[in-house]
Amino acid sequence: MPRLSVPTTARLPSSLRVDPSHPTATKILGRLSRSSLLTVALDWLDDSNLPLAQPFLRGDEEYEEELEDEDADGLYPPARSVEEVRDVYSSFQGRKGSKREVLERITDGDWRHGLTLYQLAMADLQYLYDHPTSQQWSAYRVVPLKPPRDPEGEEALEVDKQSLAIPRFHPSTFLKTLQAQVLPDVKAHYNFDAHKSLPLLLLRIFILDSPYSTNLGLQTTTTGTTTTTTTTGFDASRTVYIAFPDASPHIFISKPQTTTTTTTTTTITLSSSSSYSSSSGPSGGGGGESKSLRTLLLEGIPKALSRPLQRQRFTLQATKLVTRNLAELVARRGGGRTNAAAGGWSVYADDDEKDPKRKNETPLDLVLPLPVSPPLSSSSAASSFLEEGEDEGGKKRAVVVGPLPLSAGERREERVRKRARLVAQARFGDTAKVGDGKGVERVDVVLEDAFPQGPGESVAVEEEEEQDETYDRDRAGRSARAGRKSQVDAALERAEEEEDDDDDDEGGGGRREEQPAQVWRPNVRLTFHGSHVFAGIRQLVECGIIDGERMPGWMTGEEGVTIGAVRHGRIRGHKGSGL
Amino acid sequence: MASTLDEEIEDLQTKVSSLRKQIRIHTSTLITAPSTRLLLTEEEPATPSLTLPRADNDKSGSGISDSSIKQKLVFQSALQQAHNQQCLYRACASITTFRVRDPDPHAVDGGAILGLRIEVVSRAKFLRPYYVLLNRPYPGPGGSRHLRVHRHTLPPCIPLAGLAGRYLPAPTVGAEKSGSSGRQDGDAGATRAPQKQDLARFARALRREVVRYHHRLGIIADLKKAAGLGRTSSGLGESSERQRQPAALVDISPADAEAKQLTIEWADGRTGRLVMGDDGEILKLVVVGENGRDREAGRDLLGGAVRVEDVVKRLAAFV
Repeated sequence: MPRLSVPTTARLPSSLRVDPSHPTATKILGRLSRSSLLTVALDWLDDSNLPLAQPFLRGDEEYEEELEDEDADGLYPPARSVEEVRDVYSSFQGRKGSKREVLERITDGDWRHGLTLYQLAMADLQYLYDHPTSQQWSAYRVVPLKPPRDPEGEEALEVDKQSLAIPRFHPSTFLKTLQAQVLPDVKAHYNFDAHKSLPLLLLRIFILDSPYSTNLGLQTTTTGTTTTTTTTGFDASRTVYIAFPDASPHIFISKPQTTTTTTTTTTITLSSSSSYSSSSGPSGGGGGESKSLRTLLLEGIPKALSRPLQRQRFTLQATKLVTRNLAELVARRGGGRTNAAAGGWSVYADDDEKDPKRKNETPLDLVLPLPVSPPLSSSSAASSFLEEGEDEGGKKRAVVVGPLPLSAGERREERVRKRARLVAQARFGDTAKVGDGKGVERVDVVLEDAFPQGPGESVAVEEEEEQDETYDRDRAGRSARAGRKSQVDAALERAEEEEDDDDDDEGGGGRREEQPAQVWRPNVRLTFHGSHVFAGIRQLVECGIIDGERMPGWMTGEEGVTIGAVRHGRIRGHKGSGL
Repeated sequence: MASTLDEEIEDLQTKVSSLRKQIRIHTSTLITAPSTRLLLTEEEPATPSLTLPRADNDKSGSGISDSSIKQKLVFQSALQQAHNQQCLYRACASITTFRVRDPDPHAVDGGAILGLRIEVVSRAKFLRPYYVLLNRPYPGPGGSRHLRVHRHTLPPCIPLAGLAGRYLPAPTVGAEKSGSSGRQDGDAGATRAPQKQDLARFARALRREVVRYHHRLGIIADLKKAAGLGRTSSGLGESSERQRQPAALVDISPADAEAKQLTIEWADGRTGRLVMGDDGEILKLVVVGENGRDREAGRDLLGGAVRVEDVVKRLAAFV
């Protein structure tokens, strides 16, 4: 460690060691399960990672004198070689035991001299793999930056070569330029990792409110006076993830925390121990700082993507999709075919090689395709039984296993149910199934339609809405999430404004606006909560609670947004086509 | 015991499904065979007199009356013929259209949707076609026939938005309606000029992009194959042997979404970037070694090639 520490814009080196007793280190490691801890430890000991994750060995001259001070044969005698350490953790894997045993072995034994930032990043990523929904992601679209237009002028689509350009992304160049955007009084550690199962590149940014890029910033020196002052600096550090989907001009950015400082329970801090929340007391302003840090990042990312020398400048555009589910994000904003063909349109997009039900794949296959939804007629009872068993769980089995003699009423009921399921299949296609792992957990919609005049117009839907509305209000009252709510409101208002512009463009909507103002437009806002919102709606359709034929399209999730304004029965502005 | 029973059941089920598939194949060929069609169509007036043709296609029980079976068969035959015709068009014409109805009750234009189906052939196989679904959301007399992309299944590396902006511009209804002042303006005339939508050119340009993209992907695969970088497991021993020679290539992969840029890696740590144009012509190649740019390696790789295909040939000749 150099004696003199000069603030620079350099990033934090991956090899920087953090004291294992440091609250952040214990927090990151402590929330991993035993098996994950072992996986991570063995990953550290892998040959490719070893240079940045050297365990504490007996042969180290660096720590030799330290060792002599301590009891050389303490609880965890240092190993002689990396293989020995590896064996220890492999043997841990074989037998049962407590998590504590592994944790203490790591912090007090093999890495007592400190965990590198790289190791912490790996552990943090492991947590993300273990808990894929622990982060809330917002999808942004990378679009070419255009010179600011005359606000009065017509918004015509630019017809030039630029409009055909697809932004390109190069990780290391991106990092270099991003680093240049970050202010020198903020230090960050960056770590790239390819996602294990999804076509994503994850960038973990660990932000530290300290001007020092050495151990000073991490405060491993235990001089009693500085401890209290710099700990807050380290605790105000935040982790931000940026995910780059392969072959897609989108970026997913995790939310480091909520905007208000009172509810710091969004991402990392959600599962943190109470020690953290108590220590975050003095650094109450840290929330605002890291909020500005996020905006700094948001501003920095497009600049880092841009290449001004080649006259390619980009900007980020919010795409109104916020979810905790990365798989859903990849499906809706990824590099595949399903971006603009969600809901019932997914029948055109299913690109799953293994799916035997793929339709009209090749024109050379002259076999007449089966009807679109064969669950009950053409395929055998056994196969449909199996399918349904997989799809809907136990509930539907009773329905299918029914060649028993039925009374007329039962038969009619059966037909209605069949019909409902066919309608659900038509509206949702192969999406929105409970087990598909692509669920959004929250959808906010504001309705701007005039109140229906006649009694015939979409009564069922209205009822549904009101139910949801009251539910939402209950929930809002219960959990008192004022900050969250207002944020959503802001987003919805933004959506509304965009809708207005949109209508002006189209003229048609604008004309309807000119109608007499006595048309009552109630301000209805809907919020759907759940582990998989659209699968829930699909189930309601299948049970016949929602009339699937009169259900508006935005309830199928085919727009691919989680925040939107509905006018004339459709989510406006985005329109799902991704244009 | 239970596992064997399960296996047996699984076995039988696969057998059942394969048999069912065979039946469907036979049905589709038989039902469109000229002789069958002749029987089905010619006997129409003489239905009650003849019961023979039933024997040809006797699939189900004989309890159902002949005429209903015949009707079913005629219907089925018509369906099959329509399907055959569609397949013929799709196989020959690479862009076909179809009509769908939007199930959304609030859909614009009564839910009428025009679908474009773009066929892609790659490695002597038809891939899953790409679909573009268009609707007509613009009300009023000026723009009622103007199309707009509603849904599509194109990957984001196809510049659909740009193409749509170029060939399917939205009508500027506001300008036309707002008054004659705007229309008399010289600029307004200029902006209205590209208002005409050209679906045919749009489809052509789109297909061109899609095919180019797949060709680029194909050529990258060819390059890999020519350099001996197959994804086969048998190449494992070979690759370790290859990695001993420093001039060997160890990786060729697309570096961007559009597959226009290639990352090339050598065994000795040199990396290169090859940029190709839309149609596979080589625009740039940079090779960076330990001591900066390695022009010689670049020249070695290209050898005066102007198209990526030439590089494929060169590599194939080397290996």
